[in-house]
Amino acid sequence: MENRKVNPLKKYFPVFVGPTLIAFIIAFFIPFIMGVYLSFAQFKTVSDAVFVGLKNYITVFSNSDGFLNSLWFTVKFVVISVISVNIFAFLLALLLTQDICGRNFFRTVFFIPNLIGGIVLGYIWQLIFNGILMNYGYTLTSNENFGFWGLVILINWQMIGYMMVIYIAGLQNIPNSILEAAKVDGAGKTRTLFNIIIPNVMPSITICLFLTITNSFKLFDQNLALTAGAPANKSAMLALDIYKTFYSKSGWEGVGQAKAVIFSVLVGVIALLQLYLTRRKEQEY
Amino acid sequence: MPKKSITIKFILPALLSFLAAVFIFPVIIILMNSFKTKFSIANTPFVPPNSATFAGVENYINGLADTNFLSAFFWSLFITVFSVLLIVICSAMAAWFLTRVKTKFTSFLYILFVFSMIIPFQMVMFTMSKTANTLGLDNPIGIIFLYLGFGSGLSVFLFSGFVKSVPLSLEEAATIDGCRPLQTFFLVVFPLLKPTAVTVAILNAMWIWNDYLLPYLVIGSDYKTIPVAIQYLKGGYGSVDMGAMMAVLILAIIPVVVFYLLGQKHIIKGVAAGAVKG
Amino acid sequence: MKKSLSILIIFALCVSLCTMLAGCGKGSMAQVYYLNFKPESAKAYEKIAAEYEAQTGVKVKVVTAAANTYEQTLKSEIAKKDAPTIFQVNGPIGYNEWKDYCANIKDSQLYSILSDKSLAISDQNGVYAIPYVVEGYGIIYNNEILDKYFALSSRQKKVNSVAEINNFNALKTVVEDMTTHKSELNIKGVFASTSLSSGEDWRWQTHLMNMPLYYEFRENTAYQNPTIAGLNTTDITFKYANNFKNIYDLYINNSITEKGLLGSKSVADSMAEFATGQVAMVQNGNWAWSQIAGVEGNVVKENQIKFMPIYIGADGEENQGLCVGTENYLAINSQASPEKQEASLNFLNWLFTSETGKNFVTNELGFITPFNSFEQSEQPTDPLARELTSYMNNEKLTSVPWIFTSFPSENFKTELGNGLLEYAQGSKDFNSVSEGAKQLWKTER
Repeated sequence: MENRKVNPLKKYFPVFVGPTLIAFIIAFFIPFIMGVYLSFAQFKTVSDAVFVGLKNYITVFSNSDGFLNSLWFTVKFVVISVISVNIFAFLLALLLTQDICGRNFFRTVFFIPNLIGGIVLGYIWQLIFNGILMNYGYTLTSNENFGFWGLVILINWQMIGYMMVIYIAGLQNIPNSILEAAKVDGAGKTRTLFNIIIPNVMPSITICLFLTITNSFKLFDQNLALTAGAPANKSAMLALDIYKTFYSKSGWEGVGQAKAVIFSVLVGVIALLQLYLTRRKEQEY
Repeated sequence: MPKKSITIKFILPALLSFLAAVFIFPVIIILMNSFKTKFSIANTPFVPPNSATFAGVENYINGLADTNFLSAFFWSLFITVFSVLLIVICSAMAAWFLTRVKTKFTSFLYILFVFSMIIPFQMVMFTMSKTANTLGLDNPIGIIFLYLGFGSGLSVFLFSGFVKSVPLSLEEAATIDGCRPLQTFFLVVFPLLKPTAVTVAILNAMWIWNDYLLPYLVIGSDYKTIPVAIQYLKGGYGSVDMGAMMAVLILAIIPVVVFYLLGQKHIIKGVAAGAVKG
Repeated sequence: MKKSLSILIIFALCVSLCTMLAGCGKGSMAQVYYLNFKPESAKAYEKIAAEYEAQTGVKVKVVTAAANTYEQTLKSEIAKKDAPTIFQVNGPIGYNEWKDYCANIKDSQLYSILSDKSLAISDQNGVYAIPYVVEGYGIIYNNEILDKYFALSSRQKKVNSVAEINNFNALKTVVEDMTTHKSELNIKGVFASTSLSSGEDWRWQTHLMNMPLYYEFRENTAYQNPTIAGLNTTDITFKYANNFKNIYDLYINNSITEKGLLGSKSVADSMAEFATGQVAMVQNGNWAWSQIAGVEGNVVKENQIKFMPIYIGADGEENQGLCVGTENYLAINSQASPEKQEASLNFLNWLFTSETGKNFVTNELGFITPFNSFEQSEQPTDPLARELTSYMNNEKLTSVPWIFTSFPSENFKTELGNGLLEYAQGSKDFNSVSEGAKQLWKTER
């Protein structure tokens, strides 16, 4: 019976959802569908698209034009930075939930880099890395490993503060009684950490992993400003490689779009997989 | 109260102070170099300015002029403020509706919004700039609308999480008192959503203020926001004036830091709350 | 307090929003939209646009693409409704890329004032792009430092004056000997930095690469000139790869900057090194004058700045002149409305024929133009332009044409630049750079 009653709100759909939905359709939905179609086409502007089937996808994988190289570069980068950012952020959060004087000041300082934009960050670190490497006769673009570790350091600097704030919120949500009880039971520090604290901050871990994984996968501004892919596009991550394929190589627009589709699928699958796995872990506890 | 151990009293603060210094160090280096002459920067970035290399505020004057910084600042502010306002109001309304009216269609829309959060911008960059141009949205007002479209995914998601925890009884009481849905929403529901609204506002402000590629592709040739102006400075006039670059980097950091110091409490809380809801 | 401040800000923004909306309604769209290729001329064009609007009331919008992003900027701009009405192609290859957008301007006044009609890009049906500047490049040297070198008693006595430097061996001898006498000459290196940072490597991957391929294509006598031969070449042999390596090595081994650090250097750095007297030579073109003149602490004397040709050790190079040509062709967007096309041509006519316009061209832009509307006295008088004109008028010497307009694509140059950077940094040998270039020529053609 409940279901048959017509919700009086229903007819207000255009008022409440309309503006957002129209904007969403124009900014995201239509371009997304067009993008999927164009990945099967050859085009320069949208109107002159000619359907070419799977040709673009075949080019992406058969051509040595750098997609696989930047895919590998990106995967390495994501693995290393996700691990390092989360470990450092978690450790800092543990420290800053102790009864230390000036902890608000420290939280403030560690969080600031996160507010600075990627382009600005890239140029800041470019100067610093080049200044250091110069003493050894190198520059950031001497080989892709400098660019790689440069990006890892940069992303750590930027994201540790953000993740730390989330972990602190998670740690503060642990009821004191549980910790007291553990102490009474004579649990050591390590055991408390692994058996009490980590299971209790699992929701924070889920969200931090999600944010670091998606943000590091999609990294663009920092990459563009720091090395712009030099040398020879070897330090270009996927987002930058796609951008360059699109705008700097004529006749490659379709291939760029195909790369973007593959990239989207990849990020989507990994993000959902991670959410599924860590959510399951949350429930286990 | 147990006595604080030595570790907590001395060693940890010392360690943290060291880390804090490491965190601030890069910005200090840039600040220092912004007062050096342009050819003394790249070769000796870690040397403080001395009488031979001190440039006064010349870099700031050049930087302001070369990037047309004030105009860039204005556009960044304009776009960020209005986009955030629009996103907060519209996506709160949408989220409330989608949560309260449960049909197959609204559930589908909700999933679609959440899905858009994960998709990388490169997927739509070309087709979106094309669509925006065709519809005449390639100006600072149109881009606000685009930001609503892009920001709605995360924002609807966050608001929905919170709406679920708002008791229905309040709204029903308002309806019985004769409130129309819009009145109910703005007088009863929206005030309750305020904490989430702050979160949504802050997360979106951080994103839009710093965004580079979307404004570059859509309005970059006519209106430059701060990140676009900085990137343009790098190759725009046939050379990189390192001095002006340093000055502009500092100028770009100042508003962010001011904003942060003014609203620090809300920002930290907002970021943490956004994450916990997710 | 905080609240009232934020209310004030929002109020101010609302006011500006309203005024802007009102402004948009009046349709202040520019009639002429010029997408400029030359970043070094950006400021001059802004002045020109302002002056033209003041004189005629026609609004000219000038957008300058950041260095090395012209193709990508054009690609994204031309798809827009308010697309560029005047844009530039870099030669036959560029024209091929953009021919759907190049209007036929055979009947325009601009074409009628072009002194040598064969310079335009045309086919039997029409004329599609017209060059607007003639430029030349070579090795710019500071004569004062060379005089000082030739006056040294401890120098090698094989080459005794600048005039004797007319082949690669002589150049190499002098340069290497100058490097050993660096401290006496009070310089930090003979050559300015071989700038190889991204977007700053065109002096090598385009300009220097012109030399070996010019000599290669010249031997192909089936075509009327080396550029056309180049356009019809599907496979390069890169016969003069070693010559290229020799001159490139000379640059990077006798440089002010260690090889490993070249990847961070820009063209502006090189020009500043030259202008401040830290180096004796730099490879660049006459457009670089404004950069030399604009450097603070500039010590190089105007009458001591000279050009010499780039020698790579090819047969007969004693009679070789500077590399002279153009990669700057103006085209009118055929997809723009007829009114806009006409307004654009009117603007160009004004720029290249009116007294005010010509004054800007000569003195602000510093262009040597291929148009007969310019008198001899209206050519730029900066030292590099004068040197260039005297080389061009020297009948004993043959100028090297810019055959790089026949290079298959932008990507060819970019990849070559990447290879040269890796070679300079020691992470790649020259053989794989030259093999890579051959391979790329084939795949990109």
